[in-house]
Order: sequence, then C-alpha cells, then structure tokens
Amino acid sequence: MSQSRVHLWLMAPALLLMLLILIIPIFAALGLSFTNYSLGNSGANFVGLQNYEQIFTRTTYQKMFGATIRYVFVVVPITVGLGLGAALLIKSLTRFGDLYKTIYFLPVMAALIAMAIVWEFAFHPTIGIINSTLEQGCGTVLENWGWYANGCERTFPLWLTDRNYAIWTVAFIGIWQGFGFNMVLYLAGLTSIPKELYSAAEMDGAKSSWERFRLVTWPMLGPTTVFVVTISFIRSFQVFDMVEAFYPQGGGPSKSVYVMMFALYEKGIQQNLMGIGAAITVVFLVFVMLLTIVQRWLVDKRTHYV
Amino acid sequence: MANIRLSNISKRFGNTDVLNGIDLDINDREFVTLVGPSGCGKSTLLRILAGLESADTGTVSIDDTDVTRIRPADRNLSMVFQSYALYPHLSVAQNMLTPLKLRDLSFPQRLPLIGPLLAKTEYKTLYQQIKNTAQILKIENLLDRKPGQLSGGQRQRAALGRAMVRDPLAFLMDEPLSNLDAALRVHMRSELTQLHQRLRATFVYVTHDQSEALTMSDKMAVMMKGKILQYGPPDEVYHNPQTIDVARFIGSPAINIIPGSTDETGCVSLFGKSLETHVSYPHSTLHIGLRPEHLSLSENNGNSFPGIIRHIENLGSDLFYHLETEGMSQRIVVRSSQSEGKRLPLGSLTYFKAQKNKLLIFGESGNRLTVKSQKLAEVA
Repeated sequence: MSQSRVHLWLMAPALLLMLLILIIPIFAALGLSFTNYSLGNSGANFVGLQNYEQIFTRTTYQKMFGATIRYVFVVVPITVGLGLGAALLIKSLTRFGDLYKTIYFLPVMAALIAMAIVWEFAFHPTIGIINSTLEQGCGTVLENWGWYANGCERTFPLWLTDRNYAIWTVAFIGIWQGFGFNMVLYLAGLTSIPKELYSAAEMDGAKSSWERFRLVTWPMLGPTTVFVVTISFIRSFQVFDMVEAFYPQGGGPSKSVYVMMFALYEKGIQQNLMGIGAAITVVFLVFVMLLTIVQRWLVDKRTHYV
Repeated sequence: MANIRLSNISKRFGNTDVLNGIDLDINDREFVTLVGPSGCGKSTLLRILAGLESADTGTVSIDDTDVTRIRPADRNLSMVFQSYALYPHLSVAQNMLTPLKLRDLSFPQRLPLIGPLLAKTEYKTLYQQIKNTAQILKIENLLDRKPGQLSGGQRQRAALGRAMVRDPLAFLMDEPLSNLDAALRVHMRSELTQLHQRLRATFVYVTHDQSEALTMSDKMAVMMKGKILQYGPPDEVYHNPQTIDVARFIGSPAINIIPGSTDETGCVSLFGKSLETHVSYPHSTLHIGLRPEHLSLSENNGNSFPGIIRHIENLGSDLFYHLETEGMSQRIVVRSSQSEGKRLPLGSLTYFKAQKNKLLIFGESGNRLTVKSQKLAEVA
C-alpha cells in the first residue's frame, strides 16, 4: 500500500522546535536537579535527591514557600474579585466606559520594574507620599483606631522594610498591577452572554440584580473564571521583577519576600548553583502542571455546557 | 387568565419610528398573532407588552389594570423566546424550577443545600408541578438533561415547559418555531394550537410566517412599518384584506395584482375586457387582486385571457402555472388541481378565467374599494 508520508514532513518543523525548545530543556533541568553542577565546571557529581531534600527541609526554602504562598493566595482572589467587579461596573456604564478601561489597564501595560521605583518612593518611610498623608490624619477621629494612634505616636510602618508588612505591601502592588488584565478578560466574557437570558431571568421573576447575577452572569462566566483564575495563579507564581527591584540582595527583610522565582534566580544565576536552581525549577513546573490539570478538569466537568 | 389592552403605543429608536400609535385589544383566552415582515415592530410590541422595553407613549393594561409602569417580573406573564433562552448550566427540571422558586419561595428557602431542607414540602409540591407540566409536553425523560444535550425540538418543549409550569396571566411567544426544521414546525403548530385549547389561556404570538398566523390564531394583526394594518380572524384577513399590502403579504403563493381601470360609469375592466363590475370611482386606474385559487385554466372564449406558461410549480396536490401575459412584467399564478388531468407543456399558449365574485379591487393608494354592483353569474 502506498501511503503518502507528506504529513510527517509537514509536522516535522513543529515537532522539532517543540523538542528543541521545550521538551529537551525540561529534561535537561530534571537531569541537572540530581547533580551539583555549576556553570563552568567540567563535570558534576550525581547527588541523588539531595537538592530536593534541601528544598523541603532547610528554613530558607520554607521561607520561600511561605512567601510564595502568601503572595499567591492574597493576590489571586483579590485580583480576580476586583477584575470581575471592575468589569461589571464598566459594563453598567453608559458613558466613560472606555476611559475607565484605559485607566485600569494602564498598570498592566507599564513595565513593573519602572513602577516599582515609583512605589518605592511612595512607600518611603519619611519622604514617601503614603506616610506623609497618614500623618495628616493625626489628631483627628482616626486616632480612635489603635493602629493609627500607634503610628502617630511612634512612626508609621516602614512598609517595604518591615518584615511584618513587606510581603503584604509587595502583594498590594501586585494586585494594583494585575487586576486590569483580569478585568479585560471578564469584559470579553460579559459581552458573550446572550441578552435574551437576562430577559428570560426578568420574566422568571428575578427582580434584584443579585438574583440576575446568580442566575445568569456568574454561571455564564464560568469558563472565563476558570481561565482567569488559572492565569492569575501562574502569573503570581512567576512574580520576580518587583522583588528584584526592591530587594536586589536576599529577598527582603528576614527573607519574608523570598518568592520562588527570586530564589531560582539567586541560586541558579547569582550563586551559580545550577543543581539546586534546576530543582526549584522542577518544583515550580510541578505546581504549574497541577494547576493546569485542575483547570482542564474544571472546564470539562463544570463549565462545559454545550 | 386575562384580557390585554394596548392603547396608543409609540416607540422610537433614535430617529426611526418603530411603532406608531398602536391600539390592540386582546380578549381573554384568545390566540392572537402579530404577523408582519421583519422590521415591522412586532417583536418590539411584544417586548413592550412584556415590559422588557418601555414605550415612549401609550399604556399597557392587563386584566383592566394599568401595568405601564410595572416591571416585567410583576406583570405575571411568561414568555418563550426565539432562541429559547434556557439557562445552559441548569438541567431541564432546574430550568423549570427557576420561575417557581423565584416567585413562590422566600430567600432562605432558595439557598442551595439548606433551602430544600428548610422547605421540604414546598419543594415537593414544586417538583410535582414540574412533573405534571413535563407530562403534558412529553418531556419527562428529558428532565435531567442540560439544554446542550437536547435537539432543537426538545429545547423548544423545555422552553414551553418553563413558561407553562407556573400559571401566568398570558403567554407571550416571540417566533418560537423559527429555529426548527420545516416538518417539525408544521407539527409544533398543531401542538401549540392544542395546547392553547387545553390551557384555555391568552396567547400572544409573534411571527413573520403568514402561514403560522393563518393556521394557529383566533385573530391576527398584520403589522407593517410600525402600524397595524388589519386586525381580525384569519379568514376575514385572507378573504377580505383592507389594503393591498395585507393582500400581498397574506397567502402563498402570493396574490396576483393586475392593473385595471374604470370607464366613465365606474365599470371595471381587466386587460381591456369589461368585468361588468362597478365601483364608484369612474376614470381611474386600479389594482385588481386575484388569488391563484380563484383563477383557472379555460378554453379560449370571450371571457378568458391568454398567457404563455413559463414555469410550473408542482405541489403534489396542486399545480401552479406561472403565466406570462401581455403588458405585465409580473407573472400570473393560476392554480389547477392535478385531477384536472392534462399537464400543459412549458412555453405553450393557454387561457385562464377569473371568478368575478372573488375580485379584490384596490384604488391607486392601495385601499380597498367596495364593489357597487356586480353581475354575479360567472361568465366562462
């Protein structure tokens, strides 16, 4: 039987590229993660699971997981919630919708490393706009709030350099930067909801906007939400440039902002410990993989209507 | 169940007048069809009646109560949409439960998980209602399926079920059959008619398909350009159209409109032959409407007109001959039943005659003219 082999030739470039730039590097990283290789060394010793053992036992890496998890679990729900809220509000506007879209989307387009410098000034303990604004409120009713009174008495927090505040401050900037992107995704999702469904809900007796949201908007946004949540998770796991800009050395006050990507950069690039760097990469990949699997499962199970 | 009265309804979208002072009375338990070409404002009128759209002027009253300022949810009407508008994430049973839940249960009783525990007996009666409705529509075996798993006809039934499950004052339907294939559409027509008889409810039905309007309704309102041109029973509208537009729109194949004229006594002539029919407008040009079934092929005699057969439409039971006649760009359609035997070949010359008592005479402006006197005997 003469079967054409053209299809193999047509697939070959894509397969080859995928192999070269995706599959081989992943396996190379996996291989390196079992060694103590450093760049420039002629050889490396096989160390087995030692790198992974370090990641899951040493306190530095516990701090890494702590900082990453705090950041991710604050930033993801809030950016998703704000993104949805902003999209619903903009959708309900008859005028100025485009203006608000632009305003909320600006931080997404801006380079985070440049924005980080602006925020560093704003959060400066003495000359920063935030603390000087807070000081204006001293002597007013605000002092009834214990935290505020404390701030007036001594000083307001050092935001970026206080280990109790640093990770939350960084998370705040992450939210500011990220929710505009989710808003745009939700706006696209909202436009695809058929108008007749809202008419049907009204005829069925859904009188309040909350009832219409529960009955129509939220379920119809299901596929969008799954996508938005997944992409937010992956983006939050990847946070790096802001940490590098604020804390070029060591990941913040007592390593409280030592997020995964920064650890990877510090170990693998700055300290040239390729073995441990590769191990962190593999752990990161596993996280992303798990998230993707959960997303696929949710899309198939819960939001696949047709 | 209720009567509905629309008075002086007008609506503009931007610079276009969609509705122009519409008055419409719908009696209790009537099946009323709003029919017209697309863009005539029939759907807008239905949405104004439902409350989904507000009118610029005029009032809507249901059951002799003014509901113009009342929101749709409080008007107690139910609606079937062209796209069905079923909630895609809910099963058929949950779709049907939604209107019951939102109207009959309190907020805590509607909560997921806790709600059914709080109000066991209420939920039981609601599910019984759903079952009864499903039985009428023969969709009991579909109750657990999602809309995405249903065929077009099944979705249509589910949408009907959601409208029927509670007891609304009236049913509003916005082209509910237009997404179905031809065979199913004809079948659903008779089912809807039977459903109307069974429920003994007021139905307001919007369609662009004149055959749906003719077959299903007690009364039909023919709408064009934001106005109701004629409102009456289908027979009346078909046999006695008040304007040439109504005559043209109702009936398939369409009515033949032939130019005619009157002499000094008001005697009407067609293709230069006097029809011995008089109207009170001497010396004017007219439009004469003749439905294909009121024309028939005949021998060549003093009362017949010649024509060349250009096209034959075979509908099985009937044959429609499209004839080319002198001085007319439009072809004249003549019905001939199959049993009349001989089929004439294309391109051959033939003759046709008209039943004179079926003439519909319209003036130049398109308004119907009354016949003053007529020699009734059909001269053939």
